Amino acid sequence: MTFAANLRGRSVTAPLLCALWIVVAAGLLVLKPSAFAASTITTVLQFSTLLALVALGQSLVVLCGGGGIDLSVGGAASLSVVLVMLGLKNGMPDWLLPPTCLAAGAALGWFNGLLVTRLGILPLIVTLGTFYVYSGLAVALTNGAAQSGVPAWLVPWGRGAIGAVPLPFVTMALPAFLIAGIILAFTSWGRWIYALGHNERAARLVGIDVDRVRRLAYTISGLCAGTAALVSLAWLGSGRPNIGQNLELTSLTAAMLGGIGIFGGRGGVGGVLAAVLLLVTLQTGLLQLNVNTIWQVGIVGALLISVLLADRFSAPQG
Amino acid sequence: MRSLIQRMFGGREATLLAACLLAVLVFAAASPSFATPDNVFTVLRNSTELLLVGLGTTVLLAMGGIDVSVGMVLGLAAIGVGRALQADWPPLVAGLVGPLVGTLLGLVTAAVVVVGRVPAIVGTLGLLGVYRAAIFLVLGGSWLSGLPSGLTDLLAARPLGIPVAMAVIAAAYLVIWLALRRMPFGLHLLSIGSAEERARLSGVAVTRTRMIAFVLNGALCGLAAAFYVATYRNVATTIGGTLALEAIAAVVLGGTSVTGGRCSLLGTVLGVLLLRIVQNGLLLVGVPSLLQPVVTGGLLLAVLGVEAVNGRLPAARLGWPLARVQP
Repeated sequence: MTFAANLRGRSVTAPLLCALWIVVAAGLLVLKPSAFAASTITTVLQFSTLLALVALGQSLVVLCGGGGIDLSVGGAASLSVVLVMLGLKNGMPDWLLPPTCLAAGAALGWFNGLLVTRLGILPLIVTLGTFYVYSGLAVALTNGAAQSGVPAWLVPWGRGAIGAVPLPFVTMALPAFLIAGIILAFTSWGRWIYALGHNERAARLVGIDVDRVRRLAYTISGLCAGTAALVSLAWLGSGRPNIGQNLELTSLTAAMLGGIGIFGGRGGVGGVLAAVLLLVTLQTGLLQLNVNTIWQVGIVGALLISVLLADRFSAPQG
Repeated sequence: MRSLIQRMFGGREATLLAACLLAVLVFAAASPSFATPDNVFTVLRNSTELLLVGLGTTVLLAMGGIDVSVGMVLGLAAIGVGRALQADWPPLVAGLVGPLVGTLLGLVTAAVVVVGRVPAIVGTLGLLGVYRAAIFLVLGGSWLSGLPSGLTDLLAARPLGIPVAMAVIAAAYLVIWLALRRMPFGLHLLSIGSAEERARLSGVAVTRTRMIAFVLNGALCGLAAAFYVATYRNVATTIGGTLALEAIAAVVLGGTSVTGGRCSLLGTVLGVLLLRIVQNGLLLVGVPSLLQPVVTGGLLLAVLGVEAVNGRLPAARLGWPLARVQP
């Protein structure tokens, strides 16, 4: 029973997300009725793919507990983009681009995991450091310029759609959430993640290789960032060294909003996907209303704080 | 062997001083323009606001807290100071607007993190986003530039032979040193940092102490904003972007523990100086300024890595699983 409750996360999550989504949609309908078109749905889902992948990785890291947090997700995505584009310029064959992009992300995430588990440094300090190293390198290696030269065969996948649903959403984001959901609910790896998020000491004493599970979570978070990087390349047709900007704040907000408990061991990935859709709808709506993008950062920050405050004041103090 | 390593890293301040001297020697050899009076002045002037922000971060880290929004708090306070200067307020009053705005924002942070019991890292990350939007809103997308030089002159004046700026920073360090080492507050702060629950059970007013620390941090960031405006005489929309990382890196370099319970003010001063010397030196030998966040982040991870390897040695000898399970 406890396990099922852990998977569900906060009981208020689903109704809260639905209510907020209706408020956002209704607001947009009143302020700008022309925004309701199939193309808007495509745009929302296209942007959601990037955030959904990164938020999934972030959620797994937070679920593992022990102060788990990955502030470097945006930096890892940016650096993956830059590394593969520089690789292409230096004669790497095109067909290697997708696997290299994923591998670069996974390697960057694994490095975080290594620092956290082997050296026992606080995750927030580790990933704050690697955030600046990764995103700084991405900008410094390219002088901040977008890199052209994405192979032409990748673009039809990045921009294609089945009806109103973009291909990357169907082929990357949905399967990733499905697999993560199945792993969390039905496999021992999933149980281990909840176990060490819930009580690390107990998890260690019953023989779970805590460090290995945690390192894997960081590696998957990096892999997710690498996948998002690949989707951005295929979609935009160029490599932007700032593609991951603000993703750490937005992905963390999505995870919290989606019912992942900040101390780990609580919440499931379904809520996270719903939260991502809500956040991106909100951002797209603001874009449609010509609100400056800097406001989105402010609103996302305010949402993050209010969700955590609401969580604290609604839950009995333990 | 172990005692040698411990002696080397136990005296963190001595190690840092040696590192500063080494950096000075290396850069002086590599660049003729490094060891000039002008450049020494530049390094010191560039250190002022980080010295004050680092002081606040030291207090927070000692308590096991953190604030990643310090750059934006400095930005908002700097706007206040800049606007006051534009309105021809007397320089001293305009300068005091900084700490005032900082204190108010510190109260907001304290309300969210301490009263609202939101974990400090997530709460201040959210506030970072809110404040960044607020800076943009207040500035309206353009810079405050060409500010009057009244505050600059005030801080550069030498009534008793030393610049006012240096005296103010020294006074701030003295006040915090007294609070940490000569008043119950310091003991409470450090005990919360090493074991919050035990501190609470021992009768420490945990909530009040934590609130004071966050407000103090805000006030120090606001004071730093006055120095920032005096130095640069403009406020850009991108103000404070990497300040939180620099502050945390400098403080951790200085030997303050990231998990709380241990702090060193002298270490913070030396950490700030080392960071600024390295940044200035690298710039002079031709490393692009875009790489600065990479250098800062790398330095932070390297120091913590060395410390962790060093700290793990005795634990490894006890047999790994048991040693790790002990709280």
